[in-house]
Amino acid sequence: MAEKNVENTEEQERLLDEALQVVKMESFHMKRELDKNKLMDGLKHASDLLKELRTSALTPKNYYELYMAVCDELRHLQSHLSDEFQKGRVVSDLYELVQYAGNIIPRLYLLVTVGVVYIKNKPEAREAILKDLVEMCRGVQHPLRGLFLRNYLLQCTKNVLPDHAIDESEKQEGPPALQHSIDFILLNFAEMNKLWVRMQHLGHSREREKRERERQELRILVGTNLVRLSQLEGVDVNSYRKIVLNGVLEQVVNCKDAIAQEYLMECIIQVFPDEFHLQTLRSFLKACADMHPRVNVKNTIIALIDRLAQFAAREEDSGIPSEIMLFDIFSEQIANIIDTRSGMLLEDVVSLQTALVKLAFKCYPNRVDYVDRVLEATMDLFGKRNMDSVPNGSALSSELYNLLEVPIKSYNNILTVLQLQCFAPLYEHLDYESRKRIGVQMLVNALEHHTLLPSAEQVNSLLMLVSPLIQDQADQPTDIDMDDFSEEQGLIGQFIHQLYSEEPDQQYQILNKARTHFEKGGNKRMIFTLPAIVFSAYKLAVRYKELSDEDERWEKKCNRIFEMCRAVINTLCQAEIAELPLRLFIQGALCASELQFENHESVAYEFISQAFSLYEEDITDSRAQLAAVMLLISAVERCRCFSEDSHAPLRTQCAHAASRLLKKPDQSRAVAHVAHLFWSGQITEGDGEPMHDMRRVLECLKKAIRIASQCMESAVQLQLYVEILNKYMYFYEHGCTGVTMELLNQLIKKIREELQDIEGNEESSMIKVHFENALEHIRNHQQSGDGQYSYEGITL
Amino acid sequence: MNFFGYGAIESVEILLDGSDKRKKVRHKVSDSKSSEMCIYYDGETVSGAVSVNLKSGAKLDHKGIKVELIGQIEILYDRTNVHDFTTLTKQLASPGSLMQSKVFSFEFPHVEKPYESYFGSNVRLRYFLKVTVGRRLTDLTEELEFVVHTLSTYPENHSSIKMEVGIEDCLHIEFEYNKQKYHLKDAIIGKIYFLLVRVKIKHMEVHIIKRESTGNGPNMYHEDDTIAKFEIMDGAPVKGESIPIRLFLAGYELTPSMRDVNKKFSVRYFLNLVLIDEEDRRYFKQQEIILWRKGDVPRRSAAKGIEESTQRFGA
Repeated sequence: MAEKNVENTEEQERLLDEALQVVKMESFHMKRELDKNKLMDGLKHASDLLKELRTSALTPKNYYELYMAVCDELRHLQSHLSDEFQKGRVVSDLYELVQYAGNIIPRLYLLVTVGVVYIKNKPEAREAILKDLVEMCRGVQHPLRGLFLRNYLLQCTKNVLPDHAIDESEKQEGPPALQHSIDFILLNFAEMNKLWVRMQHLGHSREREKRERERQELRILVGTNLVRLSQLEGVDVNSYRKIVLNGVLEQVVNCKDAIAQEYLMECIIQVFPDEFHLQTLRSFLKACADMHPRVNVKNTIIALIDRLAQFAAREEDSGIPSEIMLFDIFSEQIANIIDTRSGMLLEDVVSLQTALVKLAFKCYPNRVDYVDRVLEATMDLFGKRNMDSVPNGSALSSELYNLLEVPIKSYNNILTVLQLQCFAPLYEHLDYESRKRIGVQMLVNALEHHTLLPSAEQVNSLLMLVSPLIQDQADQPTDIDMDDFSEEQGLIGQFIHQLYSEEPDQQYQILNKARTHFEKGGNKRMIFTLPAIVFSAYKLAVRYKELSDEDERWEKKCNRIFEMCRAVINTLCQAEIAELPLRLFIQGALCASELQFENHESVAYEFISQAFSLYEEDITDSRAQLAAVMLLISAVERCRCFSEDSHAPLRTQCAHAASRLLKKPDQSRAVAHVAHLFWSGQITEGDGEPMHDMRRVLECLKKAIRIASQCMESAVQLQLYVEILNKYMYFYEHGCTGVTMELLNQLIKKIREELQDIEGNEESSMIKVHFENALEHIRNHQQSGDGQYSYEGITL
Repeated sequence: MNFFGYGAIESVEILLDGSDKRKKVRHKVSDSKSSEMCIYYDGETVSGAVSVNLKSGAKLDHKGIKVELIGQIEILYDRTNVHDFTTLTKQLASPGSLMQSKVFSFEFPHVEKPYESYFGSNVRLRYFLKVTVGRRLTDLTEELEFVVHTLSTYPENHSSIKMEVGIEDCLHIEFEYNKQKYHLKDAIIGKIYFLLVRVKIKHMEVHIIKRESTGNGPNMYHEDDTIAKFEIMDGAPVKGESIPIRLFLAGYELTPSMRDVNKKFSVRYFLNLVLIDEEDRRYFKQQEIILWRKGDVPRRSAAKGIEESTQRFGA
C-alpha cells in the first residue's frame, strides 16, 4: 500500500486500472461462489475486492471511480443476500460472521451491506443495526476512506430509514422512528464533516491549495447527508426547527472551518424548503454571525435572500406569510452579524445591504421606508467606521454603487428615489466617477420611463444629487474625456425637458430653480444646459399665452419669463461664445413677437438689439459674421410686433451691418438678403400688410450687383450674379413691378458674356447648371402662359 | 504398531458408550492432522466396551487383559518428560485363554479430569483409554483418545479493564475492555479514547497473543503465538476521538487460560493494542485477559443474535 498519493496522471491511471482489475476478478469469483451457494467463500472474495479500497495512493477522483466500481459489486452481493433471506435460507449470525474480517475497511463495508439486508428483512432490528453501523464506522479515521465509507452507509440506508409513521401497524413507533432516522443522519453528518474538515490539516502547508481543491471535490459527499435529511417526509416545520436545523447548525458552527461552513450553509439554503427557512430565519442568521472569520457570510445571506425573494415572487398569491416579519428579521439579524463580525469588510457589508434592499423591494414593493432604513443603517456604518470618501475603483466603491443603483432600477421612478431620505447622504460618500455614473443612471432612467419632475423642490433635490454632472466637483480629475463629457451634457439637455409641471406657475419655479443650478456649471456646461432652459422657458411663455383667458396676470408672467431668459442668456454670454446667445436672443425676440403680451415689442426690440450688440462686439469670424447678419436680417423680417419707430433703426442697422461685412461676396449676399426686409417686413402701422418698399428692394439688389462686380475672382462674381438673378426673379414673381424685363435681360446677358470667358472647371460648370436652371424656370413660366409673371420679353 | 504382529488377534477396538450421541469436537493430533473426538467433562463416568476380535478359528493365550484411563502431559522438547497425572486401571480378564472373540465392558465411574485437553506448540495434555492384552513376548495395546473440556462459571458482572497509557507529550490514550474474563464464545467490547495525539497514526490493531510457558524456574520456556490480528482503526484520529472495539472470539482457535497445570505448564492470553505510525513505529500495550469455557448455551434467538452482534461499549 503506497502511502503517498501520487499526482502523476499516468501513474494514477495505472494504479486505478490495477485496482479495477482486482475488483473485477474478485467479483467474478464472488459471484461464482454465490451461485454455488457457497456463501462464506463468496464473502471471502467480497472482502478481498474490498481490500482495494484500503489504498492511499489514489487521488480523490480516482478513489471515487474505484469506489463506484466496488459499490456495483456490493449491490450484487446485497441482492443475493436479500434473495436468500426471502427464500428463508437465513444464514444465522451473518452479521457477526462478517465482523471477523481482519481489516477494518472490508469489514465495515460488509457490515453495512449485511446490516441493510437484515433491516429489510427484520424491521425490528432496524434501530439497533442503524445505530451500530453509524457508530462502528468511527473506526475509519482516514478522511478520504472514511468519507466514502460513510457515504456508502448513507446510500445503502437510503430506502430503509423510516421517514414518518409509515402505516397504521407501525404507528406506535411513529415519531420515535423518525427521530431515530434524524439522529442517525445527523450523527453520520457530524462524523463526515469532521473527517472532511480534518483533511485541511493533513500534510504539508505548501499543498494547501491542492488540498482545498480536493476538499471541494469531496464536499458533495458531506452535503448528501443534508439532502437525505430534507428527504425525510415526516420532518415538519417544528421538527426541522427543533431537531434538524439545530443539529446541523451546531455541527457547522463548531467545526470552525471556513470551507465547510460556506458550503454547508449554502447547502442548507438549497436543500430545505422555503417554508422552513421562513420559520427559522433567526436561528439560521444567528449562526451566520458565528461563522469563521474567513467565511464570507455575505454570500450565504445573499443566497438565502435571493431564494426567499424568488419564493415571494413565485407564490404571488400567498406570498410571505404576514406573521413573518421577513424584513425586520433580516434587518435585525444582519445588523447583528455586522456587529459581531467586526472584521467584515465594508464592501461585504454594503453588498449585504444591497441584498436587503432587493428583498425589501421584491417582498414589500410599497415600503419605501424599508429601503430607507437599510440606507440609513449603511450610512451609520460608514460613520462608525469613519469612512468618509470611498476611493475610486475600490471594491467598496462598486458595492456602494450597486446598492444605490438598486432603488433606481427597481422603482424605475426617480421621484421615489428622491423620497429616500438617506439616499443622498450615502451617495455623498461615493467617489466622483461613481457619483457621476449614478447621476447618469438616474437621468437615463427618468428619460426611459418618461418620469417628469413636477415641482421645484424635487428638481432642486435631484439636481443636487446629480451635481457631478452639473457643476465642477472638488474631487474631479483634471483631465476629462471630452466625448464623455459632451455625451453627459447632452443627456442633461435632454433631461431638462423632463422638468415639467402641468402648473405653469410651478413650471416657472422649476425653471428658475434649475437655472440657478445650471448657472453654476461653468462655461463648458452652460452651453449645453442653458439653451434647453431658455427654450423651455419660451415654451412656457407660449403656454401662458394659451391660458390667457384663465390667468389675467399672464402678461406680467410672460414678462418675467423673458426677463429670466435675458438674464440666462447674458450668463451664457460670459462663456465667451456669442453665436449661441445670439441665436437664443433672436429666438426670444421671435417668440415675444408672436405672443403679443403687453410690452412684447420692447422685449423683442431689446432681444434683437442685444443680439446686435453681440454681433458687433463678439463675433469676429467672418463666416460667423455672415451667418449672424443673415439671421438678424431674417429675424427683423419675421418680427411683426415693431412699430415704424422700432423697425426703422433695426432695418437701418441690418443694412448697415450687411454693407459693412468684410468680404465682398459676403457683403453682396447680405445686401441682397436685406432686400427681403424691405419687401416682406411688417410694421404695426401697416395693418398686417408687408412693407413692399420697391425702391429700397431695387436699391439693395443693384447694390448687391455693384458689390459683386467688384469681386476679383470671376467665378465668385459669376456665382453672385446668378444668385442675384434668382433674387430678381423671386421679387418679380412676388409682384415687385420695379423688376423689369430689361433689368433681367441685362443681367442675363452679362452672365452669358462672363460665362464664355470663364475657364471650364467643376466650379464653373456648377454655376452653369445653376444658371441654366434659372433660365429653365423662366422658360417654364413663359410657356405655361398664364399671363401674370410670364417673363414676357426675356431673351433666352 | 506391534512388531510381532497381532498373531491370533484380528483387532482390538475400544468403544465408548453413547459415542454416537455424545458431543464431539475436532482436536489436533499432530501439527497437520486433527480428528473428531468425544468430549468429556470433569467427574463424568467414562464407560464403554473393549472388543477383542480373533481371527477365525484362532485361539489366544494371554497373561491378562486390562484397560487404563490415562491423563498425560508431554513436553515436546523433552521426550523423557512424559508425565501421567492420572492412571486408572480396570482388569478385564485374568490370564488365560480366549477361544473366540469377546467383548468386555468397562466403566470408570466419576473420573476426576482436572485439566483441559491441550495441543500446544511445546506441550500436549491428552486423555486416552489404553487396552493392554498381555502376551508372552510383547503386549498388544490399543489406545483411544478423548477430549476433556473444563467448564467454569464466573459471575456476570465482571469489572472492566480500564487503563490510561501514553508517551509523554506524544500520545495519550485511554482504553477500556468490558471484562477481564471472557468465555470462548464471548466478544471483546471496548473502546479507545484518544486524549493526546501528536504522532501520525496509520493503523490501530488488537492482537490476541497466546503465551505458552513450560518448565520451571530457570528452565522456564515461553512461546508466544499471535492468534488474531484485528484492525480496529484506519487513519489518524484526533484528540477526543473514541474508537469502538468489537472482537468476536468464537472464530479463533482459543483455549481457556491455564495456570500452572500440574506444575508443568501454563497457557495465558493477552490482548495487545498496537498503534502503528506513518514511520512504521509501533506503540503497544499488552494486557492479560482470562479465557474460560462456558457450559453449552442453548442456541440463541435471532433477536438475541442481533443484540449480541451489535454490542458496543457504553451503548
